[in-house]
Amino acid sequence: MKFFPFVWRNLLRNKLRSLLTGGAIMLAIALVCILRTMPAGFDNFLNDLAANTRISIHNTAGIVYSMPYAYLGRVRGVPGVDAAVSWTWFGGAVDKDKGVTFPNFAVDADAIGVVFADLGFEPETLEHFRTHRDGALVGRMTMKKYGWKRGDLVTLSSNVWPLVLTFRISGEIPSDQDPRFWLRREYFEESLREAGVTFDQVGMIWARVDDPNRVPGVMSEIDAMFRNSEAETASETEKSFFQNFFGSLQGLVTVILIVTALVTLCIVFIAANTASMAVRERLRELAVLKAIGFRWQLLFATLVAEAALLSSVAGGAGALASLGLTRGLGAAAGWNPQLGPLSGFVMTNVLLVQGLFLAFFIGILSGVVPAFGAARRSVASTLRDVF
Amino acid sequence: MALPFSYPLRSLAHRRLRTGLTVAVVALVVIATTLFLALVSSLRRTLVSTGSERNLIVLRKGSDNDGSSQIPLDAYQTVRFFDGIAKDARGEPAVSPELVVQPFFFREDGGRENVLVRGVEAQALAVHDEARIVEGRMIEPSQGEAVLGRGVAQRYAGAALGKEMKFGRRTWKVVGILDSGGSSFESEVWVDARDLAADAKRPIPYSGMRIKVADGADRDALIRRIGDDSRWALDAKPETEYYAKQAESAQALYGLVVGLALLAGIGAVFGATNTMYAAVQARVAEIGTLRALGFSSGAVLGAFLLESVAIAALGLVVGVGVAWPLGLGVSKALGGIGFGAVTFSTNVITLRVGAFDVAVAAMLAGTIGLAGGLAPAWRAARLRPVEALRKG
Amino acid sequence: MIELRNVSRFYQRGADDVHALENVSLEIPAGRFVALMGPSGSGKSTLLNMLAGLDRPSDGQISVAGRKLNDMSEDELAEFRAAHMGFVFQFFNLIPVFSARENVELPLLLTHLKKAERRERADTALRIVGLAERAGHMPAQLSGGEQQRVAIARAVVTDPEIVVGDEPTGDLDAKNAEEVLGLLRTLKQEFGKTVVIVTHDPRAERYVDEVYLLDKGVFMGSRPGGGGARS
Repeated sequence: MKFFPFVWRNLLRNKLRSLLTGGAIMLAIALVCILRTMPAGFDNFLNDLAANTRISIHNTAGIVYSMPYAYLGRVRGVPGVDAAVSWTWFGGAVDKDKGVTFPNFAVDADAIGVVFADLGFEPETLEHFRTHRDGALVGRMTMKKYGWKRGDLVTLSSNVWPLVLTFRISGEIPSDQDPRFWLRREYFEESLREAGVTFDQVGMIWARVDDPNRVPGVMSEIDAMFRNSEAETASETEKSFFQNFFGSLQGLVTVILIVTALVTLCIVFIAANTASMAVRERLRELAVLKAIGFRWQLLFATLVAEAALLSSVAGGAGALASLGLTRGLGAAAGWNPQLGPLSGFVMTNVLLVQGLFLAFFIGILSGVVPAFGAARRSVASTLRDVF
Repeated sequence: MALPFSYPLRSLAHRRLRTGLTVAVVALVVIATTLFLALVSSLRRTLVSTGSERNLIVLRKGSDNDGSSQIPLDAYQTVRFFDGIAKDARGEPAVSPELVVQPFFFREDGGRENVLVRGVEAQALAVHDEARIVEGRMIEPSQGEAVLGRGVAQRYAGAALGKEMKFGRRTWKVVGILDSGGSSFESEVWVDARDLAADAKRPIPYSGMRIKVADGADRDALIRRIGDDSRWALDAKPETEYYAKQAESAQALYGLVVGLALLAGIGAVFGATNTMYAAVQARVAEIGTLRALGFSSGAVLGAFLLESVAIAALGLVVGVGVAWPLGLGVSKALGGIGFGAVTFSTNVITLRVGAFDVAVAAMLAGTIGLAGGLAPAWRAARLRPVEALRKG
Repeated sequence: MIELRNVSRFYQRGADDVHALENVSLEIPAGRFVALMGPSGSGKSTLLNMLAGLDRPSDGQISVAGRKLNDMSEDELAEFRAAHMGFVFQFFNLIPVFSARENVELPLLLTHLKKAERRERADTALRIVGLAERAGHMPAQLSGGEQQRVAIARAVVTDPEIVVGDEPTGDLDAKNAEEVLGLLRTLKQEFGKTVVIVTHDPRAERYVDEVYLLDKGVFMGSRPGGGGARS
């Protein structure tokens, strides 16, 4: 530790070089952090769902295939099922030209608060939703994107149904990564009837099971109930559902991971280049220090420490920068239909710390090879080469 | 008089490690940017290349995509006799009524995706010029047969010629493979419209129709006529316009790529500048000598700038050289990259690095070379011979 | 050939005012082999830089080969150097990435000669210094003495009127030093060039026609040299 000033001063020796290297590492670490928020967002999203006892029920053929509304009642009757609600895709757009910018569904208001209790709704929000026909529950991500508040009126025109409906926002779904918009089934069904369409089907049913151990049993029972009927069902846990739903994103995630690895490698090369240039220029004084009596292990350590210090400071700056950048990205991009849960770009403390450690280790790694070579050279050979 | 080309190039070769590391930095940035860009470009290319200007897509007013629309049977039966519609080989109107449904398809590893299944009639191939059956044959009506787009084949369980595939509520027999020049039809499965309607329990058998406009006919007049007809609420637009709109969502991804290129590119510029400054510093005496001999400061500037650009050029070549097979390799390993999970249909794309992507990479590399080398080259050029020689 | 009239050179180093040359007036006739000598800091290198067109005086006039140097711009000086000067440096200053022949060819790139002619001239110059067989070798493969001889070849390849050297024997052992001084003498004797060197080396006195003395930036006068006679 008493050698810290020595290490620090060496970095200041060539300020321009240290600045340029630091700048490059800072940008690259910021980039790595931003990239990592994407698959991390996906993982976090799935992990959050792992613990709950919510299951989804849909037509085996696909989500686009519907099920009779009557199924809801029958599912509610299954022992072990606390509550169940139906979901039907509304396909509403704020701006017809821009299309659907957040997922929106017609749901059953009576039990939504029970089935999705873990979302942490405020009681007034649910109360409003239950008592107002045109109520709507909106995810915080979408609220922020459009600057909506509780009580605002929002009009959506559906691209699937012949409907243009106005809703009153009952409150938010309190999660930064939630873009969803939930409207009331009754309002939806009645409006359809007025437009001359009778619709007694649902897209999906979500149910809450009272005990985690009973989940597999309940799922089998439900599927067995509807086997050999017009619409056979497939039940699965919520985590499994979303894993499958976003399964095709795996390809994109792979490319993101590859790009992240490439940028990381890039940082190693930038840092290694600088370290080797610095070492090269100091061969003479290293020889002198060794002649004085400093052992090669110490010299090696100071050289590596120098690289690590520069890398860590720059990495720290980069990680912090990514905080601001992701916030900006998240606000600007919001929820992108192509990316799904990969968008959102939420920076977590875990990722910040990981970014910092990455920078530190890269510094160490990049400093090792040139430092090793330089520190081990014999005094005589160095002086001979240099003088 | 300028210094010979061999001077900057040989100087680079002289310092192999430093040059090599910097080339690697540029190459990595090029690979990362090119891959990402190729990903977005491939997606966009697939979407944009779909459809023809002379074809119209007719959906219910208010629906913005194939899968969420329905049109009444009599609408089809009437509109097909409108003026301005091309006739096929048998003299029938080239109008293809279609039903679009997106059932689950299962991958070998158990993954599940929504795939666009298009229920068609016999006219489909005549109207969709770009689609051709390249293996096997087209489906026969009411036989429970299916034709797979090229991208679909090999991606899902049972998706091969002659095999049986399960999707929707029944199994289908694969009788042909469809090619459409890389457009999104290759991510689709075509079956008989009536078979599909029965399976999906759709009372209204068609979700929309595609119309081929006759040569020389007024396309916009036809569009207006269909849209203005008060019997049904229909909306007609050119196919290319429809698919271009879908490509717009890919547009946002370009923003991501630009951001990536910017951050990584600036980092690479810093890296190149570092290397070049070190090179100038190490060669101060050499520069002084050249100036003493009579080479102008401009010649020195040019030589060092060229060195920097040469590093970037090398990095570009290596980068593109790696990115191209890497992209194809990754696509092959993953069975194509799927896009569109949330839009209820999956576009399968192959990561192909195209001319546009290479051009962008070249611009990026060129900028890195120039921007990175400018300040150090300037410093080299401004060295006064006397001081330079004194330092040496 | 070379004429300095009331030439002064001063500059700032940190907080100090350095007077490198004070009011120097001297003449070097054409075809002479001259040594500039004096203690450290006497301004001899500065004087050499002046008459070589590498630096400009703060005051006074310099005229070389009939041209007034103090009025020229940087680019004009560069052109002048290319046309009239040959340089030999203490640390040889060969471009490490070029072979001996390519190093010698370098000044010819500033002319309009074609590649074949350039090669021929370079080979001739290398022959003069006795290194024709080493033409393809890189500087790293040559000894100190050989490198300096290549530098001399480079200095004469454009057939300049004047050759200047800053401590040309400073980094050489006795044998090589004598060889280089002998070569420089040859340049004056057989090729009629004006040769001006700055040196600490007492051996040089035997080879030169005249020794010019400087002390603390002031020209102290001259005395005759050995004229190349063997002792």
